[in-house]
Amino acid sequence: MAILFSITTKDTLTGRWESKPSEQGNIIGVVFKADNSFEGYVNKKPFASGTYTFNPVDSIFSFVDNGCDGRRGIYKIMLYSNSDSLRFEPLSDSCEARKSGMLRLVMGRVK
Amino acid sequence: MKQYIFILAIMMTTLFISATVINNDLKDKAVLGALLFADPILSKDHTVSCASCHKPQYAFADTSAVSNGVAGKKGVRNTPTAMNLRLGRSFFWDGRAKTLEEQALAPIENPDEMNLPLEEALQRLRKNKKYKDYFLTVFNSEPTKKNLGEAIAAFERTLETSESPFDNWKFSDDSNAVSGAVKRGFVIFNEKGKCVKCHFGADFTANEFRNIGLFNGKNLNDSGRYVVTGWAEDIGRFKTASLRNIAITAPYMHNGILKTLDEVIDFYNDTKKIVPNAVNKDTVLLHPLGLTKQEQKDLKAFLFSLTDKRFKK
Repeated sequence: MAILFSITTKDTLTGRWESKPSEQGNIIGVVFKADNSFEGYVNKKPFASGTYTFNPVDSIFSFVDNGCDGRRGIYKIMLYSNSDSLRFEPLSDSCEARKSGMLRLVMGRVK
Repeated sequence: MKQYIFILAIMMTTLFISATVINNDLKDKAVLGALLFADPILSKDHTVSCASCHKPQYAFADTSAVSNGVAGKKGVRNTPTAMNLRLGRSFFWDGRAKTLEEQALAPIENPDEMNLPLEEALQRLRKNKKYKDYFLTVFNSEPTKKNLGEAIAAFERTLETSESPFDNWKFSDDSNAVSGAVKRGFVIFNEKGKCVKCHFGADFTANEFRNIGLFNGKNLNDSGRYVVTGWAEDIGRFKTASLRNIAITAPYMHNGILKTLDEVIDFYNDTKKIVPNAVNKDTVLLHPLGLTKQEQKDLKAFLFSLTDKRFKK
């Protein structure tokens, strides 16, 4: 069961995801790594490093990054389009700036 | 001879600037902006251009504490880099410009910088056949305040850098792109050094205004953001600078008071040692950081790793 869980976790999120360009032409992206670390970036410029957990059963995504004074963010990830697109629904995040950014984020898997 | 060197410098600056623009099509606003950026036509006595202080080889900053404008008039604040402004929310050390378009026009009129009223600048451009034609091609209009700001701002928005060793490490996942010292330095940046509290973001600035202890109301009496807002809490606050290419944009701080990155790190390690009587200092810097010599070296290595490959010697 644990092995199945870890395989599923690895496959569901692991990889690079990016948004479409905004009105200003900015592209936000994130790389989820198999070791449960991630790197967030804007226009290929890294801006957030952190660690995460993701439960594919209830789609709960929990993470901390190097901003927001180490405060944890907990979101539900909504996967769609054959799990090739995702968006975030906030469950608990006291970092308002981060929350408002993530609310607007829709990302597609970069293949 | 001096005139020849001056003309050669202008030509080289123009070539360097043109090389940074993505699209060389003359219909492109940014190409027009690049020409204007390097052209002293926008200064009273035709001697100073934006590029006079925002020098390409220094990441579009320069090497003086404060810079000289027309007739050698000294400015009051350090020239910030004109690179990596696309994600900015306000501009100038005190954030008085809300848009890059607004920022681009201010130095033209500033008596300490280019000292040319905008209406006069526009008249010059309208009388210049080359610019008259360029503006017509790009904007279908004669030069106006609006499209002048747009053109220069469009050029400034092309000045993005995202290929430093740090970027290769984090974006491209190349762990060999940086040394062990850089990796240790990044940890210090995020933890013991507390740098990330202000320098968080894709350009290593959270675009906030902070008082880091360089205001004492006496010899250090530039009150920064307070001049714009009038709020007492803003006394001595300045916009957190981006750290991209920071290794080549010395000297540092709003007044260029710190000459090297060693001095910067030493200052942050214990701000009271350098400015014992600071007023309204941010609470993040109330206590010394206690960085060891090795930690300071590693932090410096990390900062050096933010230099884009285009500046690699």
